[in-house]
Amino acid sequence: MNGLKRVGLTALTLIAAAGTPRAEPTEPVTLGAIEILTGPASRYGVPIMKGFQLALDDINAKGGVIGGRKLALQFEDSAGAKEQAVNAARALIGRDKVPMILGPTLSTEMFAVAPIANERHVPILGTSTTANGITAIGPYVFRTSLPEADVVPVTLRAAQKKFGIKKVALLYGNDDAFTKSGFEVMKAALDKLGIETLATESFGAKDTDFSAQLTKIKSLHPDAVVVSALVEAASGILLEARAQGFPPEIRFIGGNGFNSPVLGQIAGEAADGTLVGSPWFIGKADPANRKFVDEYRAKFKEDPDQFAAQAYDALHIVAAAVDAAGAADPEKIAQSLIKVKLDGVTGPFAFTDNRDPADSSGVVVLEMKGGTFRILE
Amino acid sequence: MLAQQMLNGLIVGATYALFALGFTLMFGVLRVINLTYGVYFSAGALIALAFTRNIAPTLWLALPAAALATGLLAVLLDALLLTRLRRAQAPELASLMVTLGATLLLYAVMTAALGTEIRRFPPGLAGTAIEAGGLRISGTQMLILITTFIMVGGLLYLLRRTRLGLAIRALAENPGAAQMMGVDAGRVVAFVSFASGALGGTAGVLIGLNYNAIQPYMGEAMMLKGFAVIIIGGLGDIGGALVAGLLLGVLEVLTAGYLASTLKDAVGFVLLVLTLWLRPDGLFGRSTIRRA
Amino acid sequence: MIDDFLWTYQSLIDTIGINGLLALSLYIVLAIGQLSLGQAAFMGIGAYGSALLTSRLGWPFPLALAAAAALPAVAALLIGRPTSRLSGVYLALATIGFGEVLRVFYVNADFTGGALGLSGIPERAGFLWIYGTLATALGALTLLCRTRIGRAMDAMRQDEIAASVMGIDLARYKLGALVVSAALAGLAGAFNAHSSTSIAPGEFGFDAAVTILSFALLGGIGSPFGPVLGAVILTTLPELLRPLHDFRLVMNGLIIVLAVLFMPRGLLAWRIGRAR
Repeated sequence: MNGLKRVGLTALTLIAAAGTPRAEPTEPVTLGAIEILTGPASRYGVPIMKGFQLALDDINAKGGVIGGRKLALQFEDSAGAKEQAVNAARALIGRDKVPMILGPTLSTEMFAVAPIANERHVPILGTSTTANGITAIGPYVFRTSLPEADVVPVTLRAAQKKFGIKKVALLYGNDDAFTKSGFEVMKAALDKLGIETLATESFGAKDTDFSAQLTKIKSLHPDAVVVSALVEAASGILLEARAQGFPPEIRFIGGNGFNSPVLGQIAGEAADGTLVGSPWFIGKADPANRKFVDEYRAKFKEDPDQFAAQAYDALHIVAAAVDAAGAADPEKIAQSLIKVKLDGVTGPFAFTDNRDPADSSGVVVLEMKGGTFRILE
Repeated sequence: MLAQQMLNGLIVGATYALFALGFTLMFGVLRVINLTYGVYFSAGALIALAFTRNIAPTLWLALPAAALATGLLAVLLDALLLTRLRRAQAPELASLMVTLGATLLLYAVMTAALGTEIRRFPPGLAGTAIEAGGLRISGTQMLILITTFIMVGGLLYLLRRTRLGLAIRALAENPGAAQMMGVDAGRVVAFVSFASGALGGTAGVLIGLNYNAIQPYMGEAMMLKGFAVIIIGGLGDIGGALVAGLLLGVLEVLTAGYLASTLKDAVGFVLLVLTLWLRPDGLFGRSTIRRA
Repeated sequence: MIDDFLWTYQSLIDTIGINGLLALSLYIVLAIGQLSLGQAAFMGIGAYGSALLTSRLGWPFPLALAAAAALPAVAALLIGRPTSRLSGVYLALATIGFGEVLRVFYVNADFTGGALGLSGIPERAGFLWIYGTLATALGALTLLCRTRIGRAMDAMRQDEIAASVMGIDLARYKLGALVVSAALAGLAGAFNAHSSTSIAPGEFGFDAAVTILSFALLGGIGSPFGPVLGAVILTTLPELLRPLHDFRLVMNGLIIVLAVLFMPRGLLAWRIGRAR
């Protein structure tokens, strides 16, 4: 064909192909998910992805959403880099036209990504982001992860009641947003409970040596050491503490970062007696949790951690919202999301008016013994 | 408490020095900013871990095996990447760039193959702790101190009292003249690469054993401190690396113990900047690489 | 439809422009033979400075932008004298050390938001600002190459001692290059803060410095266009490689290694306006 016709035909084909996707009634409902799947921080994003995948299997086995449509997730990797998370969000919303986004993994990523989703009126739901101020970004920003502010006071109060703790040392990671805000919550809670803080020490996220801080803390003879750290540092701290001869009467009390099976694996006996508060732990006896744990072990050949559990519940919440909305429409999903109530593996769930988790009754205080967590008696 | 803090500082310092030994050797003699050194560190730990888990849970075999493997890896990488560039007389920055790319590549491969979870060595590999006069030191920590001093002694002996050491120093000071005097540059480079890689791997095993948090990216965290130590000690200066490492360790621990632990990270960089400002050739001014 | 396309790729397009500016900032110092890796640090000063001015003090964006260029320039003047005696890898490490000290400062100071950084920065830096600045900088540098200053820079890079014998005031050129480089990096930082609306200390440390270096090295430092090309390629590469999932980082590293092995002088090993 001659040149002009060719150009015209190509143009038409391009326009037709790039036209708005038609939503078939039997097509799967595809939501977007941005998580850290590669790089050093992928140990947080990958369990979340696995929790989602298990939930997808469960939901689709029960008939999917909106009368028989399968639920699907399009995963995009942020590799822990803010720009990549932002690009992924724009691609999911602008190019793939997803009605909702799950994630991203880290609070610092959420601060960059949420305004974008909010600006386009696309609901975005964080399952692992616990920093302050996230849901304040806008009315389309939701979060199911129970912030430290709801968990830490419960743990500290239990420790105070059970062990008569009056004076503590505080140790926290100062260059990670998560551990830093955990520390601030701990400080406030300790003040409120009237527990005296003898010393406040800090370390960097990549540090492996804690001998200086622990030697200093040991010389002050606290009743307990309250630690806000991610699991690598937490294990290192516990190992070093035992190596330095901290007596078992000095309890270590940890924030959310301690709540991982890895802690027992690495620190072994050194972790015995550590106290952690959590909205979930692997030994919870209710049938929903047992089913989740068994299926997770069967599918992935490893134990789930709390990130996986929270992701699992979150997707069920989202599926319920999509069902209630009746369509893969962002506005409708946002409106029905806030009304969803669920009894999940992490306990009963409902949203507050500010789109944060409302119910912290499921929080339990755990004690580490022999490498696994049990409920504190 | 001061005595224990000093001991803490010496041990931390010994780990820095142990890491820096191979690094300063590679840097000072081969004159290339080789960013792959961190990879040898991680690889050493991972290989020793695999050895103790699958073959025999004894450090006496795992450590040499890991050191041998990382030494060979270093020789291989040098042959593949750097020798080519040296022959093509590429700009110095090209070596920097290719080692950067190789580092990204190797870390990604290790992570893809092994995942990023943290692993630990089987317990009880390095004996138990000793307590004396109110001070405690663990078996691993003693091993680190002893190994560091042995390595430093061994390297100094090698460099000062053997023909090979003479050849290495000659090559470091003036490659052209050295070759004209009959030094086989290829063999010396290969040996230095092997030694640096093996030292890096050894550091990885011992330091990994001490902190018990082994994952592919562990080498990265040490690199910045390593840079600081070798600059402060002087490039290519073995004794300087030891002193600088110990100094840095003690200063960091004392800062954290008596000033504020938030400042601990900054100590190394402040020292680095001070050194570059006041004594760029290092503490002893014996750097084997001209600073211009 | 075009709207959607532009919206989808807006951040990517902005980032390419910003990285181009950073690569140019490095080019200026590399062109006179100085391996000064302070761009990430200067970028941080510009980013934090301008973000605090607009979001806490309500300054208008153009004024904050001017500050974002001025503050790092002042910092460059301060560290320029002590570092002028250093070269090569020593200078590189000194400047990286400077950046890390700053990063520790950002993490610990309250007014910089600590580890979480600053968010909710007003979105003011769009395509025009970023690419306008980039084009102006590119144009200015290209023209500069043809002038006496350009030839002096060339001479310095080839052989410093000979250049000084020829009467070139080394110290002044080095300081001047550092200051201009710092100002450009500061502008890039302000653009970053005001287009992504949030910044955190980790973005301005060692990793960032190494990334910027890789832009310049990949593209070649024969001309100002080289580093910019390197920035374009290395910024888009992770996005292009998305379909590879787990192998993305592996491919990224592999590409860099192969590129350098086979093109050690960079992709654009030619010079503009140089008589051969």
